[in-house]
Amino acid sequence: MTADAVATDRTDLCAADLAACARGDRAALRAIYEREAATLIAVAARIVRRREVAEEVVQEAFVQIWRRAGSFDPALGSGRGWVFAIVRNRALNAVRDERHVPVEDEALAAYAEAATDVDDAFGRLAASSALRRCLGGLEPRRRASLLLAYVAGLSHGEIAERLNVPLGTAKAWVRRSLLALKECMA
Amino acid sequence: MSPRETDLALAGEYALGLLPPAEHEAFELRLATDRTLALAVAAWRDRLHELDAAAPPIAPSPDLWAKIEGAVEAPPRVAAASPPRSVRPQVEGRPSVFAGLWENLTLWRGVGFAGAAASIALGLVLVATPKPRAPIAIAVLLTSDGVPGAIVDIYADGEALVAPLQDVSVPDGRTLQVWTLPDVQRGPVSIGLMPRAARTRLASMELPAPKPRQLYEITLEPAGGSPTARPTGPILYKGYAEPPR
Repeated sequence: MTADAVATDRTDLCAADLAACARGDRAALRAIYEREAATLIAVAARIVRRREVAEEVVQEAFVQIWRRAGSFDPALGSGRGWVFAIVRNRALNAVRDERHVPVEDEALAAYAEAATDVDDAFGRLAASSALRRCLGGLEPRRRASLLLAYVAGLSHGEIAERLNVPLGTAKAWVRRSLLALKECMA
Repeated sequence: MSPRETDLALAGEYALGLLPPAEHEAFELRLATDRTLALAVAAWRDRLHELDAAAPPIAPSPDLWAKIEGAVEAPPRVAAASPPRSVRPQVEGRPSVFAGLWENLTLWRGVGFAGAAASIALGLVLVATPKPRAPIAIAVLLTSDGVPGAIVDIYADGEALVAPLQDVSVPDGRTLQVWTLPDVQRGPVSIGLMPRAARTRLASMELPAPKPRQLYEITLEPAGGSPTARPTGPILYKGYAEPPR
């Protein structure tokens, strides 16, 4: 089976499991957990930077997935995308709350790690992937603006700071990169 | 940038998590009713998903599942949401057929119906259910486009019965909140929370009887209600109360 086929297969499994969760089937929630928890923790950790916080995020997200499974609409997109979006949102909420009280050393370490994570995330995309081809077609700093937002969960202001450009430029880069990406992947 | 491109980019920024809180909230409000926009967001999620799927996995701690299972077994927290002072929101269960008929009869008042068939139906219902209370005022709340979005029946004892007329998927961590403006000096006063768009009975004992053309509105607020005791979120519906003639 190709990597794409595996991904499709998993997507469908999530949608079916969410439908079962909505009917009160706790085994279906467990099935999502068994399949996805390790990847979800990794995704949350890239944003919140600390493993124990990432686990808390995933724990809260699973409770939310269970309670909201009935509102998942398969006509709107994949079940797996829906599950990951819940974890990303919770991770972003956690980190935006916490950034009000930055711990100096940790903040510095996190700063360096985010850059590594972003490069790593791009590098890990399958060679055959359209996302990789289209991201690769973007000017490197514009690509970085998108990846810093998505992978590391940075805000416009943080992206501007990181890339050393005015806020307006960072916003414009993200917008134009999004539209270019959409066009390229169509 | 064309309006379509603007929405596409906005959907992408939302999926990236880049919208500041106020814009994020306004966008979620549009998402609740705009399917094209919801499709655009889902398409972004699926387009970018590979970046997540390829993340090197981190094995969960052995007790993580037990914590999730424990939390899932706990009773739902809807009832525990802390409402504003002196306000007891209560989402009603599915109304009985007769109760539904009574609601309809309430709405028919003023339209003026007569005839033997109606009298017979009314007779049957009178036998079957207790006499309903008549609201002292009814407010029809409209969207900004003038489409009816909810009806609020206000009773003499201060109780209000809110009946949504549209489907609204309330985003997680948010609630609908019902407000009225008894007088401009006092400013808007919360009548209570509506955690989801379902028929909701709100008991607000402190409010004076509504005056003619008193303003009512429903806003989207953080779960637990507006933190400032004033509306902070976008207005979904608003309209004026009038005593039924």
